[in-house]
Parts: sequence; C-alpha cells; structure tokens
Amino acid sequence: MHHSEALVEVDAVTRTFPLDHSHVTALDHTNLVVRSGEFLAIAGPSGSGKSTLLNLIGCIDRPTSGRIRIAGVDTGSLRADELTELRRSRIGFVFQTFNLIPVFTAAENVEFPLLIQGVPAAERRERVAEALAGVGLAARAHHRPDLMSGGERQRVAVARAIVHRPSLVLADEPTANLDTRNATQLIELMRGLNQRLGLTFIFSTHDQRLLEHTPRIVRLTDGQIVSDSHAEEDRHAEVSAARLS
Amino acid sequence: MLKFLLLAFRNVFRNRRRTAMTLAMVGGGVAGLLLVGGFFAFMFQGLRESTIRNGLGHIQLFTAEHFQRDEVHVLDTGIRDWQHVATRVQTGKHVRGVAPRIEFYGMLSNGVKSSVFMGSAVQPDIERAMGFSPRITAGRDLDAQSSGEVEALVGVGVARSMSVKVGDGLTILAVTADGALNGIDVQIVGIVNTGFKDLDDRYLRITLPSAQRLLASDRVTNLVVGLDNTANTDAVAAELAPQLASPTQPLVEKKWIELAAYYKQVHTLFSGIFLFLGIIVFFMVLMASVNTLLMAMFERTREIGTMLAMGTPRRWIVALFMTEATVLGILGAAAGVIAGNLLGFALNASGLHLPPPPGTDVPMAFKVIILPTLATGVSLMVMLSLTLASILPAVRASRLQITEALAHV
Repeated sequence: MHHSEALVEVDAVTRTFPLDHSHVTALDHTNLVVRSGEFLAIAGPSGSGKSTLLNLIGCIDRPTSGRIRIAGVDTGSLRADELTELRRSRIGFVFQTFNLIPVFTAAENVEFPLLIQGVPAAERRERVAEALAGVGLAARAHHRPDLMSGGERQRVAVARAIVHRPSLVLADEPTANLDTRNATQLIELMRGLNQRLGLTFIFSTHDQRLLEHTPRIVRLTDGQIVSDSHAEEDRHAEVSAARLS
Repeated sequence: MLKFLLLAFRNVFRNRRRTAMTLAMVGGGVAGLLLVGGFFAFMFQGLRESTIRNGLGHIQLFTAEHFQRDEVHVLDTGIRDWQHVATRVQTGKHVRGVAPRIEFYGMLSNGVKSSVFMGSAVQPDIERAMGFSPRITAGRDLDAQSSGEVEALVGVGVARSMSVKVGDGLTILAVTADGALNGIDVQIVGIVNTGFKDLDDRYLRITLPSAQRLLASDRVTNLVVGLDNTANTDAVAAELAPQLASPTQPLVEKKWIELAAYYKQVHTLFSGIFLFLGIIVFFMVLMASVNTLLMAMFERTREIGTMLAMGTPRRWIVALFMTEATVLGILGAAAGVIAGNLLGFALNASGLHLPPPPGTDVPMAFKVIILPTLATGVSLMVMLSLTLASILPAVRASRLQITEALAHV
C-alpha cells in the first residue's frame, strides 16, 4: 500500500453547471486522495465527470461545494493569482489535442513553462534539452508542431508538462487522438517518468490500453466514484478467488 | 522577453492573408496622410517663400510707436536714422540685405477716374539684390538711377480698372507727414501680377526718393531684412533684439510669420483639414483593427486557455495581444512610409499642376514634400490606434474562463 503523504485531497466535492433554467451535476460529493508518486487513471464513460474532476484538481475550475487540497494547501482559500502561481510551479498539463503553440518549435513549446517562471536562459536551454531527450525527441527540437506526427506532438506536450519539475501531471485523455503504437509508446513514456522521476500522474481515460498499465484506477459514473482499485488489491482479489475456487 | 516578442511577431504572421489586409489598410492610411500632409507642406512652403519674396522679407523693423498710432500720417512714426540702423543690421550673420521701405496709401487718378492704392516705396537695386523682384507681366522694373519722370509699377487690376498701360501717366495723391495733401505725376514702367487679385487691384510701387518727396519726409516706415534661409529667422531675430533698444528711437522687430496674416489663415485652415483627415484615418484603423484582432483572439481561444492553464499571468496575455498590435502598427507604418515616399516621388516627377487656388490666377504645382517629422507623427498615430484597438481583444482574451477556452472548437 501507499505510505507517502497525500498530494491531492478531494473532499466532498460537488460541481454543478447551469443548464437552461436548471443545472446539471457533473461531480457529486466526490472524495479522493492521491499520494505523491502515484500513477492514477480516472476512468468512466463520456459525461461521467472525468474532465471536471481533472479541471478541479488542476485548479482551472472551482468546486460548487467541497474542498480540494494540493500538497496540503486548500485551493479554495487561494486568490486567482495564487492559483495561477500554484499551477505554474506545481502542475503540468497534457491535453487530448496536444494544445501546442503552433508558431513555436518543439523546444520553444517545452521552454514556455520555464519562460513564465522566469528561469534564466542558460538553465532553460539545459532543461529543455534534457526534457526533450527524456521523451526521445532531441532530434526534433527545432521542428514546428505541424511538421510532427500526433505521437511526437503528444510527447512534446509531455516534455512541456514535466520540464518545470512539477509535483503533479494531469493528462486529459492523452491517448484519445493517437493510434495504438503511439498510444502504447506514450503510456510507456508516462509510466517510465512516473517510476524514474517519482512524478505523480493523474489522467482521465477510457482507453483500455492505458488502463492495463495503470496500478490504480478510479471509476466514475454519473459524477460519483463507483470504484477505486489498486493493482495489488486486484491481484489479491484474483488470488483469493483462485483459492476459493 | 525576447521569446515573448518572438511569439508576438510570429503570431502576427500566423494568418498571412489577414495580416496583409491589415497592413494594406494601415499602410494605405499612412501613405494617404503622408501624401496629403506632404502636399500641404509643399503648399505652405511655397506660400511662405512667395510671401517672403514678394517683399515681406524675413524680419521687419519698425519704430515702437508704429503700432500704437493711427495710420493717417504714416511717416510721423517712421524710422529717422534708418541708414545707420540698416548698415548695422547688414553686418549680421545670415543677413543678405536690408531694404528701406515706405508703406503708404492714397488715391491715384488718370484724369477721368480715381482709385485707392496701397503703395510701397523701395530702393529697386537693393530689392533686386535681395530677390524681392515683383513679377512683371509687361514693361520693366523700377530704375533707381532714373532722372526723368517718376517711375511707377502698378498691379494688373489697377491697370485694368484705370485703363492704363506701360508708358501712360497717372497722378498719385497722398497725405504728407505734416498732414498736408500732396501729389506727383508718375509714369507707368511696368505692370505687376502678384498672384493675389485683391492686391493687384490696389498695387502701386515707386522709388523711395519719390515717395519721400511725395510725403515730404526723409524717414522710412520700416526696414525689411532678408536672410539667406528662412530657417535662420528665429536665430537672427534673437541676435538683433538687443541692438534695437535705442534710447532715442527704440525699434521693434516683427518676424515674417507675425506679419503674414494670409499665410497664417491658410496654414490654420489646412492644418485643420489635415487634423480632420488624421482623425478619420485614426478611427478607421482603430475600428478595422478591433475587428481583426477580435477574430485573431477567437481563433486562438484554446491556445490562450492552454497558456492560462499552464500558469501564464493574465497580464502577459494582455501584453501579448498589445505587442502583436504594436508590431502590426510598426509594420503597417513602415509599409505606409515606403509607399507614401514612392508615390510622392512619382507624383513629383509627373509635373502635375492644379488649377489656380482662390484669390490667385497662377496654376499651382502639385508636389509632395517628404517630411521625416510628419512620417514619424503619422506612424506613431497609427501605432497608437492599433495599440488602443488591441485593448478590447486583449482584455477579453485575458478574462477567458480556462475550462471554456480549452473546450473551444
């Protein structure tokens, strides 16, 4: 089981959105604790609240009720500029559609989080080279996104998400736009970074390929967590079932 | 900062067709204003120099009393020791010459008909040396050495209304310094066209000794100082000022701009027209650019959402859009300055002429003066316009809800 400290604490979080004269509940009294170094998937069908939960954890949305703590900090008590600073320093984002800046090269895209942190130019160059090498794209550093494949673009996005050494990387459907080969490579890349650097990954997916490599899977249905399974527990359950049979 | 500027610069060229349209609009506005402003500057310059060369000079000296007394006895307040003053002023730097004048008025008659005149008495050789030659359409200029009849030049309007030609005689009447009425006969040696109809209808010029005899005085009303260049007027005026405070008869100086009422009226009128055109261009660029920049913002909504999600301060987004607009403004202004200069050179080379302006009967050359100050001013104006135009899109971009922006298709 996990013994490291809680990095993300979601405490009775509800998020509703207005819809015509009514409202729709995207998350309903959700509780979740993610510890540092975890590799966690949030799974569920479309509309189950996966992206909403990621947005709330990523501090780009605020809960209607409940509380979210990141590294012990209650995000509900932070001002907008403090949330911006929290995202800038502690969180990395990977998006389904890559969301790279098209007029920047791969290296410049990866450099951007360091730029907004005010990291000196020499250090930026060093860390960008390191991040791109880490995702196997050192040779493509000076190519623009439109000259790269989908898999390469998503690897650039991963490099951009980790270059500033965040505590937490959030990935929303990172393999949804990738073919099997690229999806598998990306999963291996993210898992490798998780194990090698101890980075915490939380990603939403309904991609079975990704779930097979995931030690912890939180399943959402209609805005509620219906299961939270760890690989160890699964294996234990499988062993128990085998004994009983 | 460099990377930030690079991002802004590359964003400008993201949609090349739209950028080209914006640059064409901004550049067209700048080029148009440069051509209009350049033509007005040419007109002002031509009017200024013709006003000066028509006899106004660059600086005129009067007695301090000249502007305080009535004008019935013109030489009552005239300059007494004018030869000494003229000699002293003549030694100054940039001074080409000093011409004594008597500005007077009275009646002239051909025996049948009488008319009012505005006379000017001059020393013809000094006037010629200073380049103050009247534009003579018939006959010749005054001769300083003439020992026969008193010579006179009249305007084309005077010649027409009095039905006189070169060689005919006229009688002129004026009030002397003592208040008596005096008259002399003159012979017309030349007909002058000043280019200003109202002046041509009253124009009379005789020699200084003749006027002094007519007005029974050895004084002059004013000394006209001609310089090597109009640009030196202020410097020479400043140098002259201390020399004019004589205890016996203090003099005052007037720069050409203080005496050129018509020039000032024209300058004010056309400056107003130019300002109006400038305001139109300013708002045209502003409105069109707001639309262009809003389109750019909507196209990049998801990208802005991504930047905000990564922790980019909202003020950076504002600065990014404003920088992009400023870059557009700089490029548009540069394109406009280049186009304006090329068109200006082409128009100057074409030898185009415009019909005579109101009050004159001389066709006007169409030329454009390329003024660096005008180009700078107009360029700064469009840059300001574009920067202002970017405020609304920039603020809207910075206030985007991140989750909505990321979901934008």
